[in-house]
Amino acid sequence: MDSPEYPPELARLPPGRHGLPREFVSRNQRERLIAGLAEAVAENGYANTTIAHITRHAAVSRRTFYEHFASKDECFVAAYDTVMAELRRRVDEAFNEEEEWPRAVRAGIAAMLEFLTAEPHLARLSMVEALVAGPVVVERYDAAIQDLVPYFAAGRKGRPAEVLAGLSPSTEEALVGGMVSLISRRVFAERTAELESLLPDLVEFALTPYLGSAEAAKVARQG
Amino acid sequence: MAPKSTPRPLPGQHQLSREFIAQHQRARIINALALEVSEKGYRKVTVADIVKRAGIARNTFYENFGSKEDSFLAAQQFAMSAALNRVVEAAGEIDDWSYRVKAGLAAFLRFVAEEPALARTCMVEALAAAPTSVRYYEESLQAFISLFRLGRDVSPHGQELPETLEEALIGGVFWILYQRLLDAEADGIEELLPELVEFALMPYLGAEGARAVATAG
Repeated sequence: MDSPEYPPELARLPPGRHGLPREFVSRNQRERLIAGLAEAVAENGYANTTIAHITRHAAVSRRTFYEHFASKDECFVAAYDTVMAELRRRVDEAFNEEEEWPRAVRAGIAAMLEFLTAEPHLARLSMVEALVAGPVVVERYDAAIQDLVPYFAAGRKGRPAEVLAGLSPSTEEALVGGMVSLISRRVFAERTAELESLLPDLVEFALTPYLGSAEAAKVARQG
Repeated sequence: MAPKSTPRPLPGQHQLSREFIAQHQRARIINALALEVSEKGYRKVTVADIVKRAGIARNTFYENFGSKEDSFLAAQQFAMSAALNRVVEAAGEIDDWSYRVKAGLAAFLRFVAEEPALARTCMVEALAAAPTSVRYYEESLQAFISLFRLGRDVSPHGQELPETLEEALIGGVFWILYQRLLDAEADGIEELLPELVEFALMPYLGAEGARAVATAG
């Protein structure tokens, strides 16, 4: 299956495969190690993944592993960063394609849900395994969520005074935290198939403080 | 920190019962674990760390718990029921749903401010610990969700609210508290009450209605 818009480490799988494709050909050993980690974690969970697992999936030697990474944790950080960069790219692209902010929000959320649904093992890696992969990753996870704030803060622009009065410094943080909570609980429970059905609820939840419930609901339910 | 209910020796017993001592030991272990986990994160904490902090023998730990994971689960359950008790107690007597939410939120924030290590146990570390911890976290969330859902009966458009609204609102509130706990900013937490109340009530009551409750004396 061809997916040219993916970066090399994340080239799309044929259906039925775990993690990232083994047969992906790359001269870049680092990429192969990252792909290997993702596959190993999908199979074993992070805690039970060993460097031997990773190098076997990556088809590189243990020595090669240590040329690129000092530890399993470090390799995971690289894998996490790769997945997140891809997710960010898609969300950003979708968001910026829309002129009006409410539709842009809808498009961004849709792009996120689409990616997580299409790649359940990467979803699990970035939202479940990330929490047990050490403090560096947890910090990145938290930062990644906070990075979503500007997409929503943009919604303050041009709002009437009484709407702005109803917003607080923590509004966007609460919105983002709430949305990610809904998503991550389903990823935890291995119910990624349900993610896309969350779209209308998520959009309405996110837009209500800026547009009011009626208007938010309209945008949420638009096709 | 002491557990909320500790069995007293029966009348006529002049010595502390074994049960009392056992409960007290559990409390010491839970307290120590919460502190250790707050400082080091669940993964890095060892039983040795816990017994040292608690000032007990290793044997004593294993008389009470089978493993680090067991003790963590106990700490999580203790913390979550302590929080829920406070919320239910604060909210219980009030008729008006929106003021019940306000009182409940206030009680929860006070819990986080007063017991940050315990709060971290059930809110932050729970997802990093073990599958049983995650399951318990889920159950606890359901309890809070049920408290919120009653708002649908008082809201003029309760029928049209998104199905996952309560889940999202609680997730949002938790996220904000989690950030403050991470930054060790538990002190200022109670000041968040008005904005959190407004955020939580707005979908049910509209901006004005929510603000009125949030800012009421």
